[in-house]
Amino acid sequence: MATPALDIRNLSVSYQTDRGELRALRNINLQIPAGRIIGIVGESGCGKSTLISAIIRLLAPNARISEGEILFRGDDLLGLDPKAMRALRGNEISVVFQDPMTSLNPVLTIGRQMLDVQHREKHPKAKKRARAIKMLERVGIPDPAEQLNRYPHHLSGGMRQRVAIAMALMTDPGLLIADEPTTALDATLEAQIIYRLQQLQRDFGCAILFISHHLGVIAELCDEVVVMYAGEVVESGTTRDVFLKPQHPYTRKLLDCDPARIKQATRKLPVIDGSLPDLLELPGGCVFRPRCDRCIETCAIERPELKGDRHRVACHVAGL
Amino acid sequence: MSVQRGVIAEIFGRLRKDSLGMTGLVIVVVILLASIFAPVLTPHDPLEVDVYNRLVSPSWQHWLGTDQLGRDVLSRVLFGGRIALKVALVAISVSMAVGLLLGMMAGFGPKWLDRLLVICFDTLRSFPTIMFALAIVALTGPSLNTVIGVIIITSIPVYGRIVRTQTQALRENDFILAERAMGASTARILRDHILPNIAAPLLILASMDVPAVVGMEAGLSFLGLGVTPPTPSWGNILSDGYSYLRNSPWPIIAGGIPLILVTLGFTFFGESLRDILDPKLRGKDGKG
Amino acid sequence: MSDLLLVRDLRVRYPLDGGMASILKRNRRAYVDVVHGVSLNIKRGETLAVVGESGSGKTTLAMALCGLVPLSGGEVYFDGKILATGKDGCLRPDRRRIALMFQDPVGSLSPRMTVRKLLAEPFRIHKGLSDDPDRSALDLLSMVGLGTDFADRYPHQLSGGQARRVGVARALALKPDLLIADEPTAGLDVSVQGEVLNLLADLQQEMGLGIMLITHNLNIVRHVARQMSIMYLGRFLEQGLSELIFSHPRHPYTAALLAANPSPDPDATPQRVKLTGEVPSLLQRPTGCEFHTRCPRVQADCRESFPGRQSDGGDQTWNCFHAIV
Repeated sequence: MATPALDIRNLSVSYQTDRGELRALRNINLQIPAGRIIGIVGESGCGKSTLISAIIRLLAPNARISEGEILFRGDDLLGLDPKAMRALRGNEISVVFQDPMTSLNPVLTIGRQMLDVQHREKHPKAKKRARAIKMLERVGIPDPAEQLNRYPHHLSGGMRQRVAIAMALMTDPGLLIADEPTTALDATLEAQIIYRLQQLQRDFGCAILFISHHLGVIAELCDEVVVMYAGEVVESGTTRDVFLKPQHPYTRKLLDCDPARIKQATRKLPVIDGSLPDLLELPGGCVFRPRCDRCIETCAIERPELKGDRHRVACHVAGL
Repeated sequence: MSVQRGVIAEIFGRLRKDSLGMTGLVIVVVILLASIFAPVLTPHDPLEVDVYNRLVSPSWQHWLGTDQLGRDVLSRVLFGGRIALKVALVAISVSMAVGLLLGMMAGFGPKWLDRLLVICFDTLRSFPTIMFALAIVALTGPSLNTVIGVIIITSIPVYGRIVRTQTQALRENDFILAERAMGASTARILRDHILPNIAAPLLILASMDVPAVVGMEAGLSFLGLGVTPPTPSWGNILSDGYSYLRNSPWPIIAGGIPLILVTLGFTFFGESLRDILDPKLRGKDGKG
Repeated sequence: MSDLLLVRDLRVRYPLDGGMASILKRNRRAYVDVVHGVSLNIKRGETLAVVGESGSGKTTLAMALCGLVPLSGGEVYFDGKILATGKDGCLRPDRRRIALMFQDPVGSLSPRMTVRKLLAEPFRIHKGLSDDPDRSALDLLSMVGLGTDFADRYPHQLSGGQARRVGVARALALKPDLLIADEPTAGLDVSVQGEVLNLLADLQQEMGLGIMLITHNLNIVRHVARQMSIMYLGRFLEQGLSELIFSHPRHPYTAALLAANPSPDPDATPQRVKLTGEVPSLLQRPTGCEFHTRCPRVQADCRESFPGRQSDGGDQTWNCFHAIV
């Protein structure tokens, strides 16, 4: 089997705060095969931002990786020195964020930024410009040559996000991390960007880690999906398996809440009762237990481990 | 009220970690106490002339020596401090209050009012302080109140401009629109929603302004446009010392040191305060 | 039953500074039409969803109805009576009877006020509706399902969902007749969206509230709004009963919006109606039917003039020369 693009093994990350140790990620196991698109479904507080920061190794100063490995193409990222990590960032591993202005510098023209992204290449400027124009074309920007002279604030939100994606893919990365890239966009723009991403992924062959809480987008774009809750992976598998045959109670409830899935118009929309646990003081046993309607005695005592073959679940009552 | 106590406690907590800021605060407090208790602390009468002991170097009798009329420099410096701080307190409070009012009106009111006020602000600000002081003194004669008046008039536009900019920035915020949608009057919005949100930067500005105002007073008094002799002011201690520099350097040193201390103290404290009150610089809890 | 809110041909036009307009060489106009002739009606106890993408003008519509931006045309009737406009051109609605909920839940709460103060404020502004504003504030908290421990928190200490609920409480404090909610579910996790919408539905039933729900999320419209209007560049392109529109959209834009929703069913093949490009800039309004630049059914006459309203006699109207049959 080919080396996966990304292999996260047993990763745990905590933050040291005034009020104690905040355990943001606990025993995360996640694999992204080369050239595949993996989705992470999770709501606020599930730990996805911490996960991304951990992968690109830009965690806050009060963060501590207590255990685990992050293997990128077989090499442990946690063992790299800052210089080596910088060589990877923006080159082999690119990130697209929810707010394109996180990636775009407001005082530089688009052209200047797209040229800067290619700083590691030894091509003449004209060639870099040509590559930039080609890339903008591929993300569906009209009049790309003209857009190079414009500033980010001249473009609409959808266009900016496309430019951010273009910049991320310019270096032909092995892994593209997309953190809620379409959440702030309207459905029509979202659809267009998903379509482009699919095409680009086929052409470039990079692996994509796509994070979103739009279940529909994940279902359409991703080959496999990982469901995260309060810092843990609770279920993972192919999109078909997880969405059509969800095993974990959280996954089931989450899918039930999606208004798009509810065929019959209803006045009372489903919700998940309760709220996220306090990550400073985690209860023993299963982290979802306070909100679960199917728990048994073991759930309060023993933390369930991720079990299974292709379709994995961390739950004591799954399959019963 | 418990909110205020909480805020002050938090400020002190953070201040303790910032050594520069603490130093600044300590200096400020020392200066304040020294000035308030000057009558008790001074060994001599600052106006007492003793011609036989002119320009004496520092000794046990006169810790900072004497000036050209035999007056104890230390006593004069302490009383000069009272003047400096009185000027600072009055001038800054008044100009801040007036600037606040006018600035909020300019920032929140109708466009014509804004334009009018901006023209007034810019006109006043374009006068160099010294020239302005000269003009006023020519009319009214030199005095402490002249100094205070001049400083107020030239400071109001500065505060006004800043308040105006801050008010304009806040005006388009959702929460202000929400208040308008609820039917809140302009007065209520300014008082309850704009003012609390611009108070912090304003106070920091005021704190950093103290050295400038004290310096202005000293400068004007140095030129003879301010406090009239024999009343001591750091400014005229300096100008006396300057005339007799060849005889004794001590008056100048003595007059200069408090100015330096005031500047350092308030600047350190003000900068530290700004760092503390800036919400963007507050550390995150690190949630995922 | 008479209409709670009746809007006729509402227009909002923003002037552009001379300098700006001349810099944008392609456009000589000195103004932008953000709301370009909107007519709608809402009855008591009913919910109307105004659906549109960013740039459609829906937020401006909400702000105009609440008297926050000036009108440049049209009339608004509230409970049968016409609303006057002030000298600044803004409507003067009775602020106790029309309430607005903003898109940004935390940003629409004054950052230095506690929740208690924020909830008591409506009663302090409109005196006479409560003897004890602080007490009423606590009652409001329980009405939206938040514990009293929230009373002393500041807006930045609330989660998105909690801030949303405070927003609902504030909006409904004075028991208005009409609530305009701008993107009430934006930024909320799916598991929390239901809470806010259910809360609104319950309160609507209790209070007989009319609701205008502004959103770009079609998925919720089906469940919460009986009527809907599709907005594009300041105009409505299709209006009517949600049920009818969802099952049988007539306007190509509506069809495209409905099809654009990615389905959470991995087996479903996307029936993408080819919708290219983006919403055109308001500064360069296309001629005729403004949607023609992106419409898959466009023909010559679409560029000439804006289509009039059509209907088949039922509760659905659309503005299109070549509607879907």
